[in-house]
Amino acid sequence: MTTPTDPAATPEHDDSHLDGHTLDQLSDYLDADMTPPNPEIDSSPTCQIALASLRRVRAASALLLDADAEHESALEDGWFDRILNAISLDFHAGRSIPVPNPSSSAVITTTEGAIRGLIRAAGDTVHGLLVGRCTLDGEITTQGAPIRIRVDASVYWGRPIPETATQLQEAISLALSTQTELNVTAIDVTVHDIYRP
Amino acid sequence: MFAAKRAGNGVAVVLPQQEPVSLLQADDRTLVGRAADGDSQAFAVIVRRHAPVMRAYARRLLGSTDEVDDVVQDTFIDAWRHLPDLRDATTLRSWLMRIVSHKSVDRIRARRYHDDIDQHEIESPGQTTPENISISRSRENALGQVLSALPERQRQCWTLKEMGGYSYDQIAESLALPTSTVRGLLARARRTVTKEMEGWE
Repeated sequence: MTTPTDPAATPEHDDSHLDGHTLDQLSDYLDADMTPPNPEIDSSPTCQIALASLRRVRAASALLLDADAEHESALEDGWFDRILNAISLDFHAGRSIPVPNPSSSAVITTTEGAIRGLIRAAGDTVHGLLVGRCTLDGEITTQGAPIRIRVDASVYWGRPIPETATQLQEAISLALSTQTELNVTAIDVTVHDIYRP
Repeated sequence: MFAAKRAGNGVAVVLPQQEPVSLLQADDRTLVGRAADGDSQAFAVIVRRHAPVMRAYARRLLGSTDEVDDVVQDTFIDAWRHLPDLRDATTLRSWLMRIVSHKSVDRIRARRYHDDIDQHEIESPGQTTPENISISRSRENALGQVLSALPERQRQCWTLKEMGGYSYDQIAESLALPTSTVRGLLARARRTVTKEMEGWE
């Protein structure tokens, strides 16, 4: 036993029971990852027992929220809907992209967000792959400027990565060439993960 | 169901014929990337996946009040706006928890203006009922009950420190308390928790 039986009876800063250290100091020492090493604490069996106890509490607290979460009641659909409604006006549109147009009196633009949506939709047609973040590198606001596209993707277990990545490049290339006038110079695909069954 | 109100950015999503792309299986990195790019369906999956833990965290801070679900709702609305700034998707959970911390602390502070916090009777999270005791098989469940029994102020400080990763100074600033008071509250909480958890060592 490292602590008195009745914590309420313990003076606020009673150091005596931990070889001259308070539980707070030991907690701070743990926070600092035991650096720089404190030989007094390191060589005191009493402190080591208290540290072990703090570590166990910390380990339990890391798991506590997940344990709590299992007992949370189900949320109503309305709760989710309010979030979706609130975000629906914020499109993450990004930069404006000029669209070639023969008329001199009208300006047509699309947005970076719309292009990303197009890339995502094209990517989702590829068997066994999920597209993540898309980045458009280049002076996209200047008509005809060279654009390099970077796509993050993850592939399902059992799918050949090179072929799947190539299919993704082709699907994106086709979608962009038929639906936009972007001057795409490269489509880089990074496969960051494989989904295991 | 959490029906998407629109396909991301107004672009029609073409569903694959052979194997449906299941966002439910997607890792956080994929979901964060898509949501940052404006895919509200991916964001919906993030909300479904992380809402239970965020509610549990808010409940530990606020107690069981109606405020919990409001705080978590506001958290996700803010998260959508700021997701494009989140560079490392592996930190999504702690990033969301930080937003919950901020919003919960705002609520806690607002309470103090309206009435004396010590008079504030709010049901502790996970009240000790016979049912709860019977499910307290694990160390974390036992810890949960010990924390629920702490005085409100101690519980808030302990939760911000040990779960929210706040420093003493951050807790002091957030709750508008002197740092020395926060240290004292945490010292008492820590003593109670380590003592009560001895049986689980």
